[in-house]
Amino acid sequence: MSGPVKRRDFLKIMGATGVGGTLAGCDLPSTVTLEEGKEDVVSYFMPEEYVIPGVGVWFASTCMQCTAGCGVHGRIREGRVLKIEGNPDSPVNKGKTCQMGQAGLQGHYNPDRIKEPMMREGGKLSAVTWEKAMGVLKEKTASAGNKVAWFSGTVSGHQSALISNYLDSVGASKNHYTHEIVNSAVWQAVNRDMLGDSMPKLDIENAALVLSFGADFLGTWMSPVHFAGKWAKFRSVSSGPGRGTLIQVESKMSLTGGNADLWVAVRPGSEGAFALGLANYILMSSPEAGNSLSGELKTHIASFDMDTVSKLTGTSQDYIKRVGDALINRSPSLVLAGASVEGHEHGYDAVAAVMLLNVMLGNIGKTIQPSSPSPFQQLEARQGGTRDLVEFSKAATAKEFDVVFFSGANPVFTAPESLGLTKALENTGFKVAISTFPDDTTMQADLVLPLASYIEDWGTHVPAYQGDGNVLSIQQPLMEKLYSGTKGLGDLLLELLKDKNPGQYGAYKDYYAYLQDAIKTMQGSSSVKGREANNKNFWNSTLQAGVINIEGGNKKFALNNVDIKVPVSASDSDYPYYLVPSPRMGLFDGRHANLPWLQESPDQIAKIAWKSWVEIHPSTAKKLGVERGDIIELSSEHGSIEAEVYTMKSIHPDAIAVPLGQGHEEYGRFAKGLGVNPLKILTAKTDRKTGELAMYATRIKAKATGRSEFVRMRGNKTQGGRKFVRTINVDLLKRTEGA
Amino acid sequence: MKALKYLLASSLISVFLVVSFGLNSVSAKEAIPPGGSHDGVDVPQPIEFPHNIHVEDNGINCMYCHTYARRSKVAGIPPTSKCMGCHKIIATDKPRIQKLTEYWTKGESPRWKKVHDLPDFVHFTHERHIKRFVFDQDYPVEDVKEICAFCHGQLKEMTVANKVKPLNMGWCVSCHEANGGPGDCWKCHK
Amino acid sequence: MSLSNILNNWSHYRRGAEEGGHHTYEHRWAMAINLDMCIGCNACSTACYSENNLAVVGREKFDKGQAMHWLRLERYWDEDSAEKEFPDSGAKFLPMMCQQCGSATCEPVCPVAATYHTPDGLNAQVYNRCIGSRYCSNNCPFRVRYFNFYSYYETSWPEPLNLQLNPDITVRDKGVMEKCTFCVQRIRTAQDTAKMADRNIIDGEFTTACAQACPTSAIVFGDTMDADSQVTRLWKKHQVVRHTTKQDKRNPELRGYRIFEELNVDPSIMYLERVRDTEV
Repeated sequence: MSGPVKRRDFLKIMGATGVGGTLAGCDLPSTVTLEEGKEDVVSYFMPEEYVIPGVGVWFASTCMQCTAGCGVHGRIREGRVLKIEGNPDSPVNKGKTCQMGQAGLQGHYNPDRIKEPMMREGGKLSAVTWEKAMGVLKEKTASAGNKVAWFSGTVSGHQSALISNYLDSVGASKNHYTHEIVNSAVWQAVNRDMLGDSMPKLDIENAALVLSFGADFLGTWMSPVHFAGKWAKFRSVSSGPGRGTLIQVESKMSLTGGNADLWVAVRPGSEGAFALGLANYILMSSPEAGNSLSGELKTHIASFDMDTVSKLTGTSQDYIKRVGDALINRSPSLVLAGASVEGHEHGYDAVAAVMLLNVMLGNIGKTIQPSSPSPFQQLEARQGGTRDLVEFSKAATAKEFDVVFFSGANPVFTAPESLGLTKALENTGFKVAISTFPDDTTMQADLVLPLASYIEDWGTHVPAYQGDGNVLSIQQPLMEKLYSGTKGLGDLLLELLKDKNPGQYGAYKDYYAYLQDAIKTMQGSSSVKGREANNKNFWNSTLQAGVINIEGGNKKFALNNVDIKVPVSASDSDYPYYLVPSPRMGLFDGRHANLPWLQESPDQIAKIAWKSWVEIHPSTAKKLGVERGDIIELSSEHGSIEAEVYTMKSIHPDAIAVPLGQGHEEYGRFAKGLGVNPLKILTAKTDRKTGELAMYATRIKAKATGRSEFVRMRGNKTQGGRKFVRTINVDLLKRTEGA
Repeated sequence: MKALKYLLASSLISVFLVVSFGLNSVSAKEAIPPGGSHDGVDVPQPIEFPHNIHVEDNGINCMYCHTYARRSKVAGIPPTSKCMGCHKIIATDKPRIQKLTEYWTKGESPRWKKVHDLPDFVHFTHERHIKRFVFDQDYPVEDVKEICAFCHGQLKEMTVANKVKPLNMGWCVSCHEANGGPGDCWKCHK
Repeated sequence: MSLSNILNNWSHYRRGAEEGGHHTYEHRWAMAINLDMCIGCNACSTACYSENNLAVVGREKFDKGQAMHWLRLERYWDEDSAEKEFPDSGAKFLPMMCQQCGSATCEPVCPVAATYHTPDGLNAQVYNRCIGSRYCSNNCPFRVRYFNFYSYYETSWPEPLNLQLNPDITVRDKGVMEKCTFCVQRIRTAQDTAKMADRNIIDGEFTTACAQACPTSAIVFGDTMDADSQVTRLWKKHQVVRHTTKQDKRNPELRGYRIFEELNVDPSIMYLERVRDTEV
């Protein structure tokens, strides 16, 4: 196995027969044996010198399975990409991958990919030629004027710049909506207001204590592989301040929560109260911690005494004291807030209350460091949130758009019914889906443009969270396109731009030429590390490394007091439970439900696969009169869903969790019709300061249906005293392995 | 794989022998060619490639075309560009070359049929065999065809390749025993 | 060849660990898995699916417990979880795969010697030799052998998913037992590469798919016969030795242990105990 190679031109290797032809004979596992003349062998047409049949070659690219922007290597043999591994040169993931990254291959080779353009005629999508598709599109966009919008997931790099340029060219600059259901938008807003830096660096490895309020940084939060690498150092007894301790406060155990030394269950939406309770506890023992706080805020904090907090959070005072003592005694610490804190009407305030602990404990500048601004601002990630989903639904309802492009987002799946998006889309003149798969949104579009898989496409990506140095990650094809009828996103954008602005873009044959030119321009910047201005090989060495390291600027925190108002009383409701739509690494926000490896990979905590389930505390189950396997109906003001009960103690009794990811109405054979989608019944409340969707604030009723699934007893809850996993106390570890 | 499963299971006895022989790795320097023969069927190929003209008449080394043999597990069919390297000029009037040129112009490679096929679960590597029998022996590389003939027969006497050795497990094992090749099942089974 | 010859050879190859093991070993591939680093994320398991052509069995068969995950992540709760309201020290994760036992219980029960011990310390499974008696899986205390009840190749890789299949390893048919091989195809490739260059394998020049993917590097793979390898150093550091049913450590507080070693199976995987901070 050799390292990544410089040159690449799959077309030349394969000849016109393409991948299909070559693959027929070249070492593809088959059931034909020994018989002469039964298998085809198609030789290479004109291979590069480094291509040797039977020997794998590794190429660098960028993973697009989530928005973290990990660098990957793909192993190519006989023109097929067979395995993905992490790129050790990427400062994001340092050679590692998560399971979603591994499963990228199954998206690329997915049997349900869209192979040719489709247009809605007579209410049905049917195949058309690219000429026809682009002709109609140009016609529609010409008559739409500036009533054009682009709805995407998180985008960055040159594709993002091209989307902006396209919208600029039609006078619709403000109409780029970026949407991700799994995001950290409110946390970033708080950081921006409180620290003057929306994406500070988190120095997990040098913290003695991490207190995380629902931030699933090992599973779904921002850059999980990066944080897992940091985690390894954090847990190492011989580096930094010794083995760090994690306390996780949340209403449903996340993967990160499963790794906590102390896991505290709280009532959903009460995390802000818990944080202010801790602030109060800290101020009682060390009043100087509150020196920078306003009098008003101190008064507000003072109202969160032990009794109140215990009542609000549904947690014993003992837990609150234990967490408070840990914060006081262990320094430096790091306090984080994740999606379950953000997703409430007072989400901003709750996150601010959590982040306030960092200020009080002196973590700012220690375990929380300023980010390093990139000189290439136009390439920075445009991160998605849910506010854009809400805003888009409103605008579409008001018929503000004649043409909408959808790429890298599936709002028909992720939008709660109560947003009225389905209806709004009916009001939208012409919906264009640029998509690899027939997902829920794509199947409602008027025009479907088949997108090449990320493994076949060119691009550049800037991770939203830049932990260990700024980087531009290069995405290059790991194999020839499987379907000649698909196009890359960059190529499509370039085609649209050539039409609007031939002067600027007409000269580029394709996106590859554009990128080459753009990277050459970057070579001129002194911020690019390792460049030599006159190095003709810069493009090749960039492809080989897969990343361009960028010298970021220096930034200083600008600390501000933020107004925090956390409600002191819990609201009563006819709907006694909180719905927790919990994402997990694997199916993520539902985008990976069409990948069989990830469907078959069980939930890390519940160990269930291929379906939806309702996670409730045994005490709640008892109250509802249900047992494991019973079908239960959950209803909010906006609808109801049914799934089988799974009782677990890793959830607060007032919370009912339904995992995200299933319940697709479209999306190919592996995803369609499997399970339920909890997002559908969310109440469309929003955070009052940021306008982000209050995703964890939906109140629900639960009722047994009387039906049940046959439960197969498999696996054990405990080890039955056999000690497969032995656990020791940290003192012992320090004694034997400590520095 | 189905077809072979039971066939090989019946040769259980020989395996135990092999394991014990394999351990005392015979350091035979002289190569002992495998015996055995196989009455191969005629496999029609898209172009009736004359090995005899290339090998015998023109004395071209096997590894000139099958260049991957010493660098990879597979010897590889030469890329079409390699054929055209000579046949842009040589023998362009012959029908077989014209057929080749047709493929070349279309930008395609001929679909050859595999003659020496091993089951899917066998890990066989050309490069190790070439190293063992040619390079480690200081065997003259110009005569490599005699080594290739161990398993592929005398290609200098054939047009398109014909299978003349059984290439089954008992046959492989007999040669491994004679020449001190590995005897562990998992060296070849995968 | 007589039956007595087979039986003689049989006993020769069934020498117990206390008699020095089955072989004069060339390598002894082994692992060290740090359970305090393992976060239970499943990356290793999916990497294994990708590397080893593991079949996806689908919902119904998954529910029946027929998933083919050679490397599975087990999750346990605390022993006292029945009394507690919440699992307040988190979950316990355990990556469980074939332990490549030195005196494996699966080997002697195979009626056709399809599973046997290799000179590099692996439990080989020769697929085309296997007749599917399933004795081995019934005899495995770790439950890490997986049986092909169906012809998964017909349904598991609808075209073009089959293009992802790794040609270095076969696709198993119905009626065949399979299990973790420590990525034997990677071992063989590394051996071939080393031999082509007339050198020995260098520690770290290759690793298994699971160890490669692991985001926290909790899995360390290597040769315990290489005195300088990382895995040897870890085994030494934790004073874990082979060929024993009970570790006699100079410092009994060290974290290394082998699961079920008391059964005299001599596992090749050393786990390092999970750690929890009970002070908070």
